[in-house]
Amino acid sequence: MEIEVLAEKLSKALNNVSRIATSKVTLPVLNNVLIKVKNKQVSLVTTNLDMAIIDFLPVSSSKDGVITVPAKLLADFVSVLPKETKTNISVKDNKVTIKADKYSSTINGTPADDFPELPEIDEKKAVVFKMSTEEFKKGMEQVVVASSNDFNRPALTGIHFYTNNKVLYTVATDGYRVAKKKLVKNVQSEIKVTIPAVTIQEVLRSINDEMEEIEISFNEDLVRFRLGEIEIVSKLIDAEYPNIDNFIPKESNIELEASREELVRITKLASLFARHGANDVITCETKTPNTFSIHSIANEFGENDSIIETKVEKDGKISITSKYLLDALNVMDGEDIIIGFSESVDKITNMAVPMILKNKGSDDYIHILMPVSI
Amino acid sequence: MYNVWENALAEIEQKISAGNFSTWFQDTTLLHTEDGHVVIGVKNSFFIKQLQSKFLDTIKEALINAGVEVKDINFEIQAKVKSKVRPREVTAGPTQIRDTLPTIKKNPKNQNTGLNSKYTLDNFVVGSNNDLAVAAAKSIIDKPGTSYNPFFLYGGSGLGKTHLVQAIGNEILRKHPDYKILYTPIADFYADFVDSVMKGKGKEFSNKFRSLDVLIIDDFQFIVNKEKSQEEFFNIFNNLHQSNKQIIVTSDRLPSEIKTVDERMANRLTWAGAFDLQLPKFEDKCAILRSKANLTGAEIEDEAIEYIAENVNTNIRDLESELSTILLMSDVRGLTPLELINNGSVNVVHESKLKPTTPKRVVDKVAKSFNLTTAELKSKSRVAHIKNARQVAMYMLSEELHLSTPKIALEVGVKDHSTVIHGIRKVRQDLKLNFALRDQIAEIKGKIYD
Repeated sequence: MEIEVLAEKLSKALNNVSRIATSKVTLPVLNNVLIKVKNKQVSLVTTNLDMAIIDFLPVSSSKDGVITVPAKLLADFVSVLPKETKTNISVKDNKVTIKADKYSSTINGTPADDFPELPEIDEKKAVVFKMSTEEFKKGMEQVVVASSNDFNRPALTGIHFYTNNKVLYTVATDGYRVAKKKLVKNVQSEIKVTIPAVTIQEVLRSINDEMEEIEISFNEDLVRFRLGEIEIVSKLIDAEYPNIDNFIPKESNIELEASREELVRITKLASLFARHGANDVITCETKTPNTFSIHSIANEFGENDSIIETKVEKDGKISITSKYLLDALNVMDGEDIIIGFSESVDKITNMAVPMILKNKGSDDYIHILMPVSI
Repeated sequence: MYNVWENALAEIEQKISAGNFSTWFQDTTLLHTEDGHVVIGVKNSFFIKQLQSKFLDTIKEALINAGVEVKDINFEIQAKVKSKVRPREVTAGPTQIRDTLPTIKKNPKNQNTGLNSKYTLDNFVVGSNNDLAVAAAKSIIDKPGTSYNPFFLYGGSGLGKTHLVQAIGNEILRKHPDYKILYTPIADFYADFVDSVMKGKGKEFSNKFRSLDVLIIDDFQFIVNKEKSQEEFFNIFNNLHQSNKQIIVTSDRLPSEIKTVDERMANRLTWAGAFDLQLPKFEDKCAILRSKANLTGAEIEDEAIEYIAENVNTNIRDLESELSTILLMSDVRGLTPLELINNGSVNVVHESKLKPTTPKRVVDKVAKSFNLTTAELKSKSRVAHIKNARQVAMYMLSEELHLSTPKIALEVGVKDHSTVIHGIRKVRQDLKLNFALRDQIAEIKGKIYD
């Protein structure tokens, strides 16, 4: 096997794939990147057995063959090389020699036989969606924040993708908040799957400005993302996802509108005290005709009370976690935000009615925060 | 009956490398075998692909050797397979093998947690005396190691500290059966530590603690003033705290009040705040007695409960023991609890009814306790010490005699009743953190009724 490629390109490809090369002790080959050359096509592959990343690397010349090399070591070596250097990788007796101008090193490789075979999408049965990477990225950043990392509830560690009335929705929740986004309108196929949030995060990290379109293909238990030269294949989460729509309030008794920038500011101010007090809790309050305020208290330090002047039609109060409100505001993109809440108990779920946040003039994204009882 | 899959795995283990075996076969289960159709449960599609492409023949051979008829092998994803659960049992009959779907055991490890399962949150009575602490406890059960870490709980003896922290332990264990939890009184901690050092097993001791997910230390006030052992506790504490493991500590007072505690330690313990359990109010006491009575299934009249609640003013332990005594007597004598009380057969003794007192007496005793004369206390002086005494007097007049604020203003010589409101609020606030003040007030209270 032999390839010749610019150091810069190789380094970029290795950075893309080496992130998930784990230091799993039981199977050392998982530390490695698989370099495969067949018919002038070069692919770099890593896997952690939950997902795999494949980068198709355009090279100036190549000879067929296959080998695995410790991924981090190779990535680190190549990253130090001057960008414009022509780099040559060749293999002899499992020794991988990397030559670039005056720099040369030999790394002990492992035969590719031990490297796991990767599952592949069955193209015939696959459900495929295409969208602009920009929209995908924005949408995912808006929902992924609400996902859970409690592996005792596997479903919640994922992002749920489902279709309803020809719209593709994505949703995430950790039980305390819900983020729901209309991702694609007018889709033809139907799906209902849950993708691990870590996979989504990995996809987000792989996106760069040059990539215009992302293609997502689903099989029954597998998903594949294609963006530019990169392919990410991941397992799906095999657990029932809760029906989120039950938690989304149909209407709110109290509604107000405020600039996102100002909301972020007063929430940050309040969180300074809330995080020292009990449970990071802040209290939002409306007072007719024109006051929305956030109040927080930390016994040992003091308290905070900030207001925004905006039209309100009803007095009311709700306590929520400041971090969650801030998370939501930070991922929202509208200049003005509509906040709605109620001081009542939902008849179906028998729980306090949550706060709901939307961008003004758009129903594409909603963020729900469960109130805290104090 | 024998375990087919275990046998097959044992054979596979011999044939392939240890790394491959533990990676690919660790979480597999034999789900189903019928008429030669074998279904094996695996973690995800990556495993299916690998097992199919590289190990199919190995698996087939091993199954046949274990006595299973194999025509084809299929794989199925089984998300709930956890690494800690061992492969399932399969029953082998003479002609074919059947299997029932596996169930995961609730508590795979029979670990020695030191917890007593009778303490739960359900049988902990929540009242205004402890609702903050209970709210914190619930948030800990929800997300151990995140919100209140360390959780420092303090309060006098018999107010339910041990019950609450053991309940936290039990509830966490119920939610996360794989968590390592240890409940130990601090005295046992030291005994173990000294023992382990003497046997040269200090390392094992510290490893045992460092591998915990939740550490519950009870009766911290008995901490020993031995540098070495306090350092060991300090290290374990830091280690667990840094890796976001939940630490729960109870004590009868704040760490800063415990003379033997190193200052660094004291600071750290109350990083996430200190929660106190206070003496229950009358209504709370009634609720506790009612719940206790319901638990034992005994019948008791509301009036009897109110009588006990009114007359026991020490702690919950005494409250409960009084109740059991009465219930036992009622059982033996065949009278209802109220009849017993009314005919004078029981005499509830714990700090029984207080003698009436006067506002003047209260002010005098407060002044005396602060080394002041009554005139000084009532003066217009704004010297901090005198002001404090005046405020304590306001507080005691309000708490003990339930005087109105304007009346209190008259008694302590201030003009405005709002000064009184402020004073009472300030003392209430101080009481939460100031242990010395709490003791002083208890002492004054004793003298008032003496």
